[in-house]
Amino acid sequence: MTKLPLSRRKFLGTTAASAAVLASPAYLRPARAAGGEVNIWTYTDFVPEAFKDQFESETGIKVNIRLVDDQGKQFNLLAAEAPEPTVDIVTVAGHRFLQFIDSDLLAPLDAGRLTNWGAMNPIYSESDWSTINGNKWGAPILSGMEVLAYNNELVPEEDVKSWYTFFSDKYAGQTAYTIQDMLSIVMLMKGYDGNMVAYLDDPEKAAEIVAEARDFLIEKKPLVRKYYDSGAEVQQMFVNQDITMACAWNGPIAALMADGFPVSMTIPKEGSYGFVYTYNIANNAPNADNAYLFLDAILSSPEIGAEMTRASGFISTFNGADQHLTEAEKAASAFTEEELANLQFFRAEANELKYSLVDPAVEAIKAA
Amino acid sequence: MTRSHRVLLSVIFWAFVVYLFVPLVLMVVMGFKDSKFIGFPIRSWTLDWYLGVFADTDVIFTFSYSVAIAIISTLISIVMGTWLAVLLARDKFAGRAAVYALMILPALVPGIISAIAFRIYARQLGIEPGMFAIIWAHAVHNVPFVSLVVIARLSTLPKSMGEAARDLGADPFVTFMRITLPYLKPALIGAGIFCLLLSFDDFVRSFFLGGYDPTLPVLIFAMLRSGMSPEINAIATVALVLTAVLGVWAERSSRRMKKDSQ
Amino acid sequence: MTNDAAPIGAERTQVAAAGGGDRPAAWGRFVAWRPYQLLSAVVFASPRRQFLMLALIPLIWVLTQHLGPMLQMLRVSLMDAYPVTVGQETHFTLANYVAFFEQSVFQRPFFRTLGYSAMLTLVTLIITYPVAYFLARHVKRHNQLALLLLLLIPFWTGEIVRTYAIMILLGNNGAVNIALQWLGLIERPIPFMYTGFSVSVGLIYLTALYMLLPLYSALEKLPRNITEAAADLGAGAWTRFWRITLPLSLEGVGSGCILVFLISTGYYGTPVLLGGPNSTVFAQTIAGFFHVAGDKWPTGAAFAVIMFVAALLLTGIFSRFISALRKGDSK
Repeated sequence: MTKLPLSRRKFLGTTAASAAVLASPAYLRPARAAGGEVNIWTYTDFVPEAFKDQFESETGIKVNIRLVDDQGKQFNLLAAEAPEPTVDIVTVAGHRFLQFIDSDLLAPLDAGRLTNWGAMNPIYSESDWSTINGNKWGAPILSGMEVLAYNNELVPEEDVKSWYTFFSDKYAGQTAYTIQDMLSIVMLMKGYDGNMVAYLDDPEKAAEIVAEARDFLIEKKPLVRKYYDSGAEVQQMFVNQDITMACAWNGPIAALMADGFPVSMTIPKEGSYGFVYTYNIANNAPNADNAYLFLDAILSSPEIGAEMTRASGFISTFNGADQHLTEAEKAASAFTEEELANLQFFRAEANELKYSLVDPAVEAIKAA
Repeated sequence: MTRSHRVLLSVIFWAFVVYLFVPLVLMVVMGFKDSKFIGFPIRSWTLDWYLGVFADTDVIFTFSYSVAIAIISTLISIVMGTWLAVLLARDKFAGRAAVYALMILPALVPGIISAIAFRIYARQLGIEPGMFAIIWAHAVHNVPFVSLVVIARLSTLPKSMGEAARDLGADPFVTFMRITLPYLKPALIGAGIFCLLLSFDDFVRSFFLGGYDPTLPVLIFAMLRSGMSPEINAIATVALVLTAVLGVWAERSSRRMKKDSQ
Repeated sequence: MTNDAAPIGAERTQVAAAGGGDRPAAWGRFVAWRPYQLLSAVVFASPRRQFLMLALIPLIWVLTQHLGPMLQMLRVSLMDAYPVTVGQETHFTLANYVAFFEQSVFQRPFFRTLGYSAMLTLVTLIITYPVAYFLARHVKRHNQLALLLLLLIPFWTGEIVRTYAIMILLGNNGAVNIALQWLGLIERPIPFMYTGFSVSVGLIYLTALYMLLPLYSALEKLPRNITEAAADLGAGAWTRFWRITLPLSLEGVGSGCILVFLISTGYYGTPVLLGGPNSTVFAQTIAGFFHVAGDKWPTGAAFAVIMFVAALLLTGIFSRFISALRKGDSK
C-alpha cells in the first residue's frame, strides 16, 4: 500500500480486476493454500508485504493477517476466543505480557526452535523483563519509548531538558499527553519507581506515590490542551499547531520527522520508559509449527527489521538493521548516549499493584 | 408565509449544506496532498494516493465486502424491524411494554459492550467469526432503528384503510402486503438508509466479530496506527464515490423496474 | 417516495379498485391460489391465531437475539472476574454496581453524558427543524428527493475520516483560522479545537441525519392548505408555527429526539477525538474498563447496564410526554 508509480496499462488492468472482485460474492474469497496457514494478529506494517509474499511462495504456507490497532482490544479479542483461539501469533507489548500470561492466553516460547534467535540484539532478547515464570514468552521485534516531542521552530532546545517544562505556565495550553503514561513519567520525575517494583512489599507507600502524582496532574490540568489516546492524534496536533509539546511514543514522532515536519524528540534528564513489541505464540495455537517457521523466517535478515522500522517509526531489535536505513531514517530513531542512560523499560512484575492504583487515578484526573 | 421568512429559511438550509460539505471537501482535497500527513499547508500535490487505491485490490475487496455486509444485514433488519413494529403498533396486549423494551435493547447498549456481548454469545451459539457473524450482529443491532421509524409511521396510518380491506375479505397477510406496506414505503426507505449507514460505518462490532478480512472501518482504523495519511482520505473518498454511484444506480434501476411493471 | 405523495383518499380508491392494473391481478391470482387459501384458512382462522402468527417470530427473535447478548452481559456484570481462566472459580457479587454509587469519579461523567445528550438532542432539533421545514415545504416536490440525497452524501464518509477532517478545519493551523487570518479579522489563531464547540461541531454532524429524516417525513405529510387556512384567518407566522405546524409534526420530533438521544449516549469516537480534558463521557469510562485496563469486564458491564437502564427510563418518560402532548392537541 505504498505509493506506486503506475503505468496507464497497469492501471486499466487493475481496474478491470477490481471490477471482477466487486462482481464476485465476497464469501468466495479467500482461497486456502496447500501448505497450511498461519494466522497473525498485528499492527499495520509490522509484517512487511515483500517478506510475506516471499514466505508464502517458499513455504506454501498462507499468511493471514488480522489488523489490530490497540493492545486492549487484542487482549479482549483473544480472551473472548480462549481457550480455542483462531490465532497463532499475536503482537504484545512486553510490559503487557503478564496480563496475557495470567489469563493463560500465551504459550511459552521455545527459543531453541528458532535458529535465528541470535540475530536479535541481546539487550532485548535476553533482558530480564522478557523472562517470566522461568520462560521466554515472545520474540522482540520493535522497540519504542516515551519521548518528549516538541516543535523545534517554536520551542528552544534548552526548554526540553526536563519534564518539568511540561507543567510550566510558559507552555500553558500547548501540551498533550496520555494520562496513564504521564503518571509513570511524573513518578519518575519526582524520583520514584514508576514501575512500582520497588514498592511490591509496601503497598501503602505505592498508594501514597500514586496519590501524589495524581494530585500533581489534577493541579496542572488547566495547563494541558488535550489528553490524547492514539499516535495519529498527537501527529495531527503537531501538524495543526494545536500543541508545541507532547509526551509521546517515538514511533509516531519519527514518522512525522521523516516527513519533514519541524518536530524533534528527546529523553529529558529525569529519564523515560521504553517498551518492546514482541511476537507471541497463542496458547493452543491451531498452527503452532507454522508459527515457529514464520518467526524464524522473519528474524532471518536485518533488511526485514529495517523495513519494519521504516514503516512504523519504531526501532528494530535486529542486529545491524540500522545499516539498511537512510541517514534521515537513522536520525529519526537515534538518541545520544546521555539520553539513553536514563531510559528504563516498563516492567510487568508489579502491574497488579500498579494498575489497581493507576486506573482509579486516571479516572479521577479525567473527572476532576 | 412572508418573503423574508422564506429567504431566512433558505439561508439556514444552505448554511447547513455548507456545514455538511466543508469537512467532505477537505477530505477529498487532502487525498491529493504529497505527504504522509493531512493538514495545512499543502506544499505539493500528487495523484499517487488516488491511483494507489485502484491499484490495491485489497481495498476494493474490502469495500465490496463492507457493501455486501451492509446490504444483507439491512434486509434482515428491515424484515424483523417492520414485523416487530406491526406487532407493537397494535392495540394493547399483555406484555407489550416488555416487548417494546426488548425491541429497543440493542440500540441502547454501548458499542464496545454490545460487541463483546455478541462475541461471547456467538461462541455459545457456535457462530464462527467472519462475514456471517458481522451480518448477524449488524442486523440485530439495527432492528430497533427500523422499528422506531416504522412505528412512528404506522401511528399515522388511518385505521379505516385496513378495515376497508378486511371488509373486502382480505386476510391479515394480504392486508399488510397491499395496504400497510405501500404506506410504510417512505419510512422503510429512511430506515434502510439508517441501517446501511450504521452497518457501513460500524467499527467495534465488525472488529470483534470479523475474521481475517477487514471491513472498511477496520482497515482504516488499522491504517490510522501509522498516522492519518492522505492515503486514508483517498480511500474514504473513493469509497464515498463508489457508494454514491451504487446508490444512484439502485435508485435508477428500481425506477426502471417500476416503469416496466406498469 | 412517490406513494407517499398520493393523498390518502387516492390510496383508498386504489384498494377499492383492486383487480384493475397489473400488480393487483398478480395479487388476485396469489390470493385465489388454492394452497394459499388453505394456509390462510388455517393460520388466520381466529383472532387468537392471527395474533400468534404476528407475534411468534418477533418474540422468538427478541428473546434469542436481543435478550441473549444482554443476559450474557448481565451475568458478567455480576461476576467478580471475567474472562474466566481455566481452573479459576468465580463468585456472585454486586460490587461492580456498588462501585458506581460509591464513587463520584464515575457519576460525574455519567450525568455529564445524560446532560450532553439531552442538550445535543435539543440543539440538533433546533438546527435541523428549519432545514427539514424548508425542504418539505418550500422546495418543489420533484427537487426534494435530490436535495435530500445531497444532504445524505456527507454521512457516508466514515466517522474517523470525517472527524480528522474537522480537526484540520478547526485546528490552530486549520482552514478556518487560515481564512480568518487571511481576511485580517484575527491576528492569532483562535483555539477552536478540544472545546465544547469542536465536540458539538462533530457530534451534530453525526446526529443531524437521525433528526432530519423523521422531521422531514412528518412535515412533508402536512397538508399545505392547513397553514394557508390559518393564514386566511389572520394568524401570524409564529402563531401558525406554534399552534399548527409544530403540534402536527410532534410525531417526527418525538421519534427524531428519541433516536438522537439514544445514539448520543453511546458516542465514543468523536468526543474522544474532538473533546478537551474536561469532557470525558461515560462511554469512555466504560470503554476504559475494556481497553486500557483490559481485565475489568465485570465493572464495565455493570456500568453499561446502569447506562442502559437510565437511557431506557428517560426515553420512556420522554415518549410518554410526547404522546400526552399529541393527545392534548388532538382534543
